Amino acid sequence: MSRVTIDPITRLEGHGKIEIFLNDEGEVENAYLQIPELRGFERFCEGRPVEELPRIVPRICGV
Amino acid sequence: MAEKLKLALYWAATCGGCEVAVLDLNEKILDLAAVADIYLWPVAMDFKYKDVEAWPEKFIDVCLFNGAIRNSEGEHMAHLLREKSKVLVAFGSCSCFGGIPGLANVANATQVMNRVYQETWSTDNRDNVRPQTSVRVAEGELTLPAFYDTVRALNQVVDVDYYLPGCPPVPERIWEVVGAIVSGTLPPKGATVGVTEKTVCEECTRRKEGKIIRAFVRPHQVMADKERCLLEQGLICMGPATRGGCNARCVSVGMPCRGCYGPTDRVSDQGAKMLSAISSILEATDEPAIKKSLDSIVDPLGTFYRFTLPTSLLHRARVERSK
Amino acid sequence: MPDQSFEPKIVGFLCNWCSYQGADMAGTARMQYAPNVHIIRVNCSGRVDPSFILKAFSEGADGVLVAGCHPGDCHYTSGNFKTMRRMPLVERLLADFGIEKGRFRLEWVSAAEGAKWARVVNEMTEQVRRLGPLNWKEQVVNR
Repeated sequence: MSRVTIDPITRLEGHGKIEIFLNDEGEVENAYLQIPELRGFERFCEGRPVEELPRIVPRICGV
Repeated sequence: MAEKLKLALYWAATCGGCEVAVLDLNEKILDLAAVADIYLWPVAMDFKYKDVEAWPEKFIDVCLFNGAIRNSEGEHMAHLLREKSKVLVAFGSCSCFGGIPGLANVANATQVMNRVYQETWSTDNRDNVRPQTSVRVAEGELTLPAFYDTVRALNQVVDVDYYLPGCPPVPERIWEVVGAIVSGTLPPKGATVGVTEKTVCEECTRRKEGKIIRAFVRPHQVMADKERCLLEQGLICMGPATRGGCNARCVSVGMPCRGCYGPTDRVSDQGAKMLSAISSILEATDEPAIKKSLDSIVDPLGTFYRFTLPTSLLHRARVERSK
Repeated sequence: MPDQSFEPKIVGFLCNWCSYQGADMAGTARMQYAPNVHIIRVNCSGRVDPSFILKAFSEGADGVLVAGCHPGDCHYTSGNFKTMRRMPLVERLLADFGIEKGRFRLEWVSAAEGAKWARVVNEMTEQVRRLGPLNWKEQVVNR
């Protein structure tokens, strides 16, 4: 089993990492996509006035 | 032929808006390409972390680092890019002050993870699968960065040479700073650039008639006069406590300022300054009337520290330690 | 579990004309009271910027006390009206940050109220002792 790590993935918005595991024949046995980012909007938007949400959540993605 | 500037742009806990702000230079990006070679820009070009690690020390002339430091990957890249860069610029409000992701400092890592992976009403995670820093799968080990309790600004992790705030920074200001870098006319290190010396109020063209507030209102409670100062109409506007440079873009379209350019350099805590300013201009002079006026402010922490919670004096709210 | 051996560190901002004189009077009258308030004299309670209070907590204070002239008696006429308007909002902000209500107190103490000063200090010291040390940097920020 050999392993190809693509870290980071690029030319898109966001952070990502891909791990590809190859068997002895060089074929892909399995591949994993991991997203190593989290900011917690689901939590910190709570308690904010509702009219402020349209000014906070666009910062989820500026693209 | 002058050597081209080696430029790097990187993002930590980010939304990508600062990248778009650079792209909003529009055709000037060609002028930028004429004076600089971009060696690192995840949104636009390929690279791998091992490429950055292989660079010699101080290889990059200027690194524009946006995004807050939320996890160990961001912290690692902050240290790495500090080592590989002659000049490190905290680019955008997240790296300058913590930004919107900094609001997560009202909670800790456990609370955030619980909400994201379990408690939100649309989440179906019966097996309570959670991200782990290390997990064994059939083929080997997978790793993820460690998620911290506290969000930090860039200068709380490494030495920062310049600060270019804004959520996002206004493209005209970005271009001015690029010009200063190229012509070698940046101010001494430690300065905030791409800003004016005064507050947003100086740039705001609304009519100011005198600030005496009876009560604060939420936007649905008033038909705001399009020409008059928003704060004078009772709408909380962070203009008086926010550094200028943005051309008062929000206020000019009727949105009260929320402070994304951060405080002026004479202020250590933007939220405290705003709190002081708006309570000073209340009309009320007796306790019950004062209480009534202040009760109309719904979310002091989230409003006064919208972009600057991590770099505030208290840095974060007190919650129990993460388990 | 409240630690009875814990000695609270309380920072007190006292206005020069009234409350500092009141505290001074407590001293000259040899009143015995808790030594836990570290006094910072300001010219007016209106000088107390909210950032002073936040800075005190962030730098290790377990409690903060602001004392000024009674409303209407301010040496600078209206300085303490600003104090009156700021401090309730400071209290709300402190609550948002997770700093309990008893750790901050606003009190009007005149130059003649030495006994009141002593009583306020004793009360506040016991209240903060019950709440325990805050240790903002160690307990909250550094992780």
